[in-house]
Amino acid sequence: MSKPFLQIRGIRKEYGPVTAVHDVNLDVAQGEFLTFLGPSGSGKSTTLYILAGFEAPTRGDILLNGETLLSTPSHKRNIGMVFQRYTLFPHLTVGENIAFPLKVRRLPKAEIDAKVRDMLKLVRLEGFEDRKPAQMSGGQQQRVALARALAYDPPVLLMDEPLSALDKKLREEIQHEIRRIHQQTEVTILYVTHDQEEALRLSDRIAVFSKGVIDQIGTGPELYANPATRFVAEFIGDSDFLPCDLVTAANGKAEIALAGTTVIPNVPVHGKPVAGGKAALMLRPERLRLMRSAPGGATAVPVTISDITFLGNNIHVATETARGDALAVRLPFGHEAISSLSRGDSVWLGFDPASAHVFC
Amino acid sequence: MLLNFDRLGWWKLVLIGITLLTAAFLLLPILFIAALSFGSSQWLIFPPPGWTLKWYQELLADPRWLESAWTSFQIAIIVTVLSVLLGLVTSFGLTRGRFMFREALKALFLTPMILPVVVLAVALYAFFLQIGLNGTLTGFVISHLVLALPFSILSITNALEGFDKSIEDAAVLCGASPFEAKIRVTLPAISHGIFSAAIFSFLTSWDEVVVAIFMASPTLQTLPVKVWATLRQDLTPVVAAASTLLILLTVLLMVLVALVRKGLKS
Repeated sequence: MSKPFLQIRGIRKEYGPVTAVHDVNLDVAQGEFLTFLGPSGSGKSTTLYILAGFEAPTRGDILLNGETLLSTPSHKRNIGMVFQRYTLFPHLTVGENIAFPLKVRRLPKAEIDAKVRDMLKLVRLEGFEDRKPAQMSGGQQQRVALARALAYDPPVLLMDEPLSALDKKLREEIQHEIRRIHQQTEVTILYVTHDQEEALRLSDRIAVFSKGVIDQIGTGPELYANPATRFVAEFIGDSDFLPCDLVTAANGKAEIALAGTTVIPNVPVHGKPVAGGKAALMLRPERLRLMRSAPGGATAVPVTISDITFLGNNIHVATETARGDALAVRLPFGHEAISSLSRGDSVWLGFDPASAHVFC
Repeated sequence: MLLNFDRLGWWKLVLIGITLLTAAFLLLPILFIAALSFGSSQWLIFPPPGWTLKWYQELLADPRWLESAWTSFQIAIIVTVLSVLLGLVTSFGLTRGRFMFREALKALFLTPMILPVVVLAVALYAFFLQIGLNGTLTGFVISHLVLALPFSILSITNALEGFDKSIEDAAVLCGASPFEAKIRVTLPAISHGIFSAAIFSFLTSWDEVVVAIFMASPTLQTLPVKVWATLRQDLTPVVAAASTLLILLTVLLMVLVALVRKGLKS
């Protein structure tokens, strides 16, 4: 990463007794696509609104190219934004909507017309300039909103769940468009979503928000392979959790006892490990191996199959440990075990301790 | 639908009958007045023995009628402008503001609608006597403004509540100052509400008679006051002619509203 382009420095936002954002710090590189991922109420949108200038932070600073943004009012920040709801100006045509920020900037007419044409081409809506927003679909409206937000070449583009009102198929289509437009314009994008798949598909890096704090920042594979908190592990990808006892912990590795029997060494550990304390072992359903008999030497948990569901490209097997903890396994379609297994069978689930995680 | 009109059988005829009777109940007095204004008798006799336009000639030849019409028009226009402007800023405050007693304040602004007009008229009369506003254009405008403002606030607040604030925010991020964003984006988007506010304010003032009777002086009176005063002196069909013209203007305005609403929607 080159020198930070956009810096969020200790931003905090309090609404009376409620703290919506707790001292968020973040560096964004120029041209980066960074997503704020988190459930509603996690502070991701509030952080975005502070960047836009619609909310003032209780403390902290935002620097763009080393200069503070906070003293500049929203309309002079030169930031682009696409909103969750449809925000095209209803009385103006598509062309006039895209021209609006340029007219406000009093650019010459020829320049405006050329830019509007470029933008319509960018979002692939040539020929739509005379339509009114009400005559367009939701997906088209959001593309025009994107064109309008990019028309004045903003250094930063904010997107606040722009696709949440669209159906799944359309959403995927426009995600591709957004990716292409990001690559084509090289604009820095800060994107807010609660949809992990959308975050993984679009972003260079993802900042996972939880309760007003960024739990972890990293690329999708980083977050998936090495979640820093139980929350990140639960939010990115599917996960199984088994209660366990911590025997010892040192250098980020722990020795754990599962259900009082098996002792497993060398499991990566997160949080504040206390020897002898309770912890949770996290396993990814698709990395579990299903075996008919007790494996010699490998780490494995004995379970009973409670349900088998066919899901097209894979098979979901729900199991239960002797203590009654649920453990899901995902097997590729055609797995030999499927044809010969049924509910109530006793099997073993094997895993590699190095790919598991313990959260304290 | 539970009740299908086409399958009602003979009930259909009953419904049509009730509808026609209701329409007649509402419209007959108006048609009656219009017919009398063209009647040849000078005693407001129905049915008229013959037909004439002389009452209209008399009406248009009398400077006092024209004067009071002009007064009414002036007052109504000033009231309309002020009512829309005040209604706009009040509605922005009521819709966007976050303060205590907002709902109570909203209700307070609508009280002139439910308060008996004559109570308001007496109160305004007593107050204006103190400060010397009786019989002045200013007095008329202020008292009609009190009556018109609730309609204006109601229709503009409705329009503003239906307008997504994010659209204005988008305009601000596009580089428009908050004021410019309101002028160039929000106002056009709520223009149907502003238009309704203007029409209702105009009509409230234009055909208001109770407050106007209290405000009027021998030299300054509105058209409805003139109609009322003339009725009390002599029952000339000129009054019917004046009333017919009043109704005609009101109908024209309502048609205009319907047309503009239709245009704004598409």
